Amino acid sequence: MSGNRRRTTNAIEVNFLTRMIVTVFLIGITGLFFVYLKNQQHAVGNQARVLETQIHEAECKNESLQEKITSMTSRGMLQRRLDEGYIRLEAIRDTAIARVTPPVPAEADGVLRTASRDTDTQFGPGVPQRVLKR
Amino acid sequence: MKGVSGRIGVVCALLVLIFTGFAWRLINVQVLQHDHFSEIAAEKHLFRKVIHARRGRILDRNGEELAVNIPIRTVTADGTHIKDPSALAKVAAPFLEMPEKELAVKLSTKDPYVVVRKEVSEEKAQAMIRAMEEAKLRGLYLEESSIRSYPNGEMLCHVLGYVDHTGRGIDGVEKVFDTELAGHEGFRRIERDRKGLEIVVYRGQEQLPEQGSDIRLTIDMGLQAIVEKEVDEAWKTYHPAGATAILADPNTGEILALACRPNFDPNKFNEAKQDDMRNRAITDMYEPGSTFKIVVAAAALNEGIVDEKTRIYCENGLFQYGGKTIKDHHKAGDMGVEEILQFSSNIGSAKMSLRMKDEDYYGYVRRFGFGEKTGIPLHGEIAGLVNPPHRWDMLTKTRMAFGQSVSVTPIQMVMGMSVIANGGKLMKPRLVLSKGEGSSIQQTEPVREVISGKTAKFVSSALQKVVSQQGTAPQAKVDGYTVAGKTGTAQKISPHGGYLDGRYIVSFAGYLPVENPKLMGLVIVDDAKLGSAANYGGLVAAPVFSKIGGRAARYLDLPPSEATVAQAAASTEKP
Repeated sequence: MSGNRRRTTNAIEVNFLTRMIVTVFLIGITGLFFVYLKNQQHAVGNQARVLETQIHEAECKNESLQEKITSMTSRGMLQRRLDEGYIRLEAIRDTAIARVTPPVPAEADGVLRTASRDTDTQFGPGVPQRVLKR
Repeated sequence: MKGVSGRIGVVCALLVLIFTGFAWRLINVQVLQHDHFSEIAAEKHLFRKVIHARRGRILDRNGEELAVNIPIRTVTADGTHIKDPSALAKVAAPFLEMPEKELAVKLSTKDPYVVVRKEVSEEKAQAMIRAMEEAKLRGLYLEESSIRSYPNGEMLCHVLGYVDHTGRGIDGVEKVFDTELAGHEGFRRIERDRKGLEIVVYRGQEQLPEQGSDIRLTIDMGLQAIVEKEVDEAWKTYHPAGATAILADPNTGEILALACRPNFDPNKFNEAKQDDMRNRAITDMYEPGSTFKIVVAAAALNEGIVDEKTRIYCENGLFQYGGKTIKDHHKAGDMGVEEILQFSSNIGSAKMSLRMKDEDYYGYVRRFGFGEKTGIPLHGEIAGLVNPPHRWDMLTKTRMAFGQSVSVTPIQMVMGMSVIANGGKLMKPRLVLSKGEGSSIQQTEPVREVISGKTAKFVSSALQKVVSQQGTAPQAKVDGYTVAGKTGTAQKISPHGGYLDGRYIVSFAGYLPVENPKLMGLVIVDDAKLGSAANYGGLVAAPVFSKIGGRAARYLDLPPSEATVAQAAASTEKP
């Protein structure tokens, strides 16, 4: 009886089963990995969009601030402020000027200068300093 | 058993039928009607997002910003995304500065596109979106836009012009260089999810915008501020119908400053009157009066009809010609060409013109650039009026000699006087130094050689005497610099023919320093509210020129003229 029973029992093909399980597993993993990558792609896309929006906002903010600075420092505005007395012009005293480059003497290029603030050496020979210092 | 298999057969057949139906539907949707459904899907999710190009800035020659952009947003609503209009209105109303009820009414719509509010500042728009996100509300969206701003307000308004609400240039540089300033907008094909957010992964075709080019003008805002201030002073003092002042470089034709009154604020161009928006420097023509005498003098000298020594009998101030009397303010007998200009003799000028052939004289007038557009890159320039000889009557030629029977624009007068200043060359007025970052600054070529350098020098020395104590414009003098120029006083033409009594257009056109001219200036005051005795170019326009010239020379740090320095030195040496 027992011999008959053994004969009718189907043998489990372990190799085939293992191959199938591994294949299905791999397909499943590939699918999940694909979904994971797709999700990552969307997440990165969203991050890119948010970043783009932030950059754009920063650019817009920068532009509008620049415009404000330009308006507030424009000649028209400064003139108005000057007329209203909010700001005033004050002459810079000779002692308060620090020269970055040495002054060009008149003899160097033969040109007389109106805005000269230094010693007599800057003026042409024989020209009284007080004539030029207007 | 037969019944069982029969039932199984029926179920199987039904299943086959159902799945066949599904398969057919699938084929129908996916294959046969693929294009149709794709289109519907695309309509719902795919968009062509416009990427706006930034309009270029307008800068002065030193890079000072004259026209810039302010980014703003247009707030739109998608009615299909709004579930609770009242709640959304409550959140958004403070940012949109709208009454909550009014906004709620606007938002109670099923329309997918409703413009809720325009010109919302970037900060407020972003704050509104953040508030909506916190409240988990949706339905309001932002569209990019910008408005043009002119930080200096009324300053230089006639040159800059303005743009309309769509951002298109309507006048001035904004109009002439609209194509360069505007650039080209780009686009991006995008897909949105049901929340209306872009799905970046499905981003399609993209074309980046071509940003507008910055335009750099020849205008120097330092000089412009000086000119504006002095013209304003004249405007307040004389209450004229109009005033124009131009500063240019006579050697290159570069326009350094240009101001007209009345003027307007291009930021509020809707509030301006049509008359205020007119750029009188190019759109108005006037009889130039005595400033035009430079043409006949230069022409006669250049043709050799008169020379430095020629004496012309000036009839002691009264000359009968063609049945009319020509009068001189300064009554004299014989006068040389130099004195004719110095004392502004109408008779001397008329007699010089009579010595010339009609065609030759007309040719010189045209060669000086009168009767044709100068080509300044601004809209609305007119050519002035110079009639050809076949349309002259007996008096025309003599009248033209002292600036009547001829009409010119202020810009023509500046370029005409520059011919004397620069040694005989007619220059084309230049307003733009460069367009965009890559473009180079090109040197200007003269339009034509009008007179010889020798003639120009002689006329120039005569014009220098005009500004002397004996001349007609001592008030045009600028301390420290030699000045040459010519006054003009012309009666206003009546629209009904003839002239208007006691109403004058007075002007002064001059340059400095004479030995190496760097600044060419013209001041015109139209119909100053003054008595006839005081309404002269030398008394009204010349002092304005003097103030502008003095301040401009100091601003540019021009070296003082040696002649004036020597004069000053001599005067200080005297006990």
